[in-house]
Amino acid sequence: MKIDHTVPLEYSTEENRIKIVGFWIFLGAEIMLFATLFASYFTLVERTGSGPAGSDIFDITPVLIETIVLLTSSFTIGLGIHAMRIGKLMAMLSFFAVTLALGAGFLGVEIYEFLHYIHVGAGLQTSAFTAILLTTLGTHGAHVTFGLFWGIMIVWQIKKRGLTPENANKSFIFSLYWHFLDVVWIFIFSFIYLKGMM
Amino acid sequence: MNELFPLKQVMGFVVSLVLTVVALLVYFLDMTFARGIAILLITAFLQAGLQLVVFMHAGETEDKGAIYTNIYYGLIIALVTIFGTLLCMIWGYE
Repeated sequence: MKIDHTVPLEYSTEENRIKIVGFWIFLGAEIMLFATLFASYFTLVERTGSGPAGSDIFDITPVLIETIVLLTSSFTIGLGIHAMRIGKLMAMLSFFAVTLALGAGFLGVEIYEFLHYIHVGAGLQTSAFTAILLTTLGTHGAHVTFGLFWGIMIVWQIKKRGLTPENANKSFIFSLYWHFLDVVWIFIFSFIYLKGMM
Repeated sequence: MNELFPLKQVMGFVVSLVLTVVALLVYFLDMTFARGIAILLITAFLQAGLQLVVFMHAGETEDKGAIYTNIYYGLIIALVTIFGTLLCMIWGYE
């Protein structure tokens, strides 16, 4: 394996570089996945039937907490990657741990929010609007849940083996995934919640 | 600045918080639908661009061209899907 020391560790082999480009292509496909959900949401948003509309059930407080928590976690994982690049292993793992804790906090608030929706009679089968709302939010939430387990595995692996070109690459790719989830949330925050409460 | 907190990323974080506050004006101030949506479109796309460039380092290697081409392609398909669906299902045309 040829290791190029002029670039950060996560890019240092041919395979690593290709994996990063490959993950960007996956993220391109993810953009399209969420686009189909948004297209369906905008189509069905008025179809509330006898159920509640967005303005009846949305509450700014949990939404704001989720937004700040996810934005902060996106910042801390960026710092984690920076720490990895300057070789500060403990700082990197700490930033990753903070990121995952914030991710878990986000999920906690989102689960609370879902229970609240069901409690006020906005379940998955209430109306076309609640169905697409919960599907869109749920798809994002499922991505965060998956990311949480993925991140834990990476932290575990780095603790066990130290920083290698392989797990530096995994960490960087995981950071791309996490930032992407934040990007999707910004659109959910703007065009589902704020638009719905406007 | 401490070496663990590079200025570029700290500034990126501050700007993303400011953009969130600007987007929130839509909720706290009374404004027309068109103006509100215009503000949200601007803040959301600026936020997304910020994440891509500052935090995801989209342009830092020689694969920059391939990465941006792929992102723009994904974005175009996303916009065509969303506005095409709106045209067919909601707006209609004469």
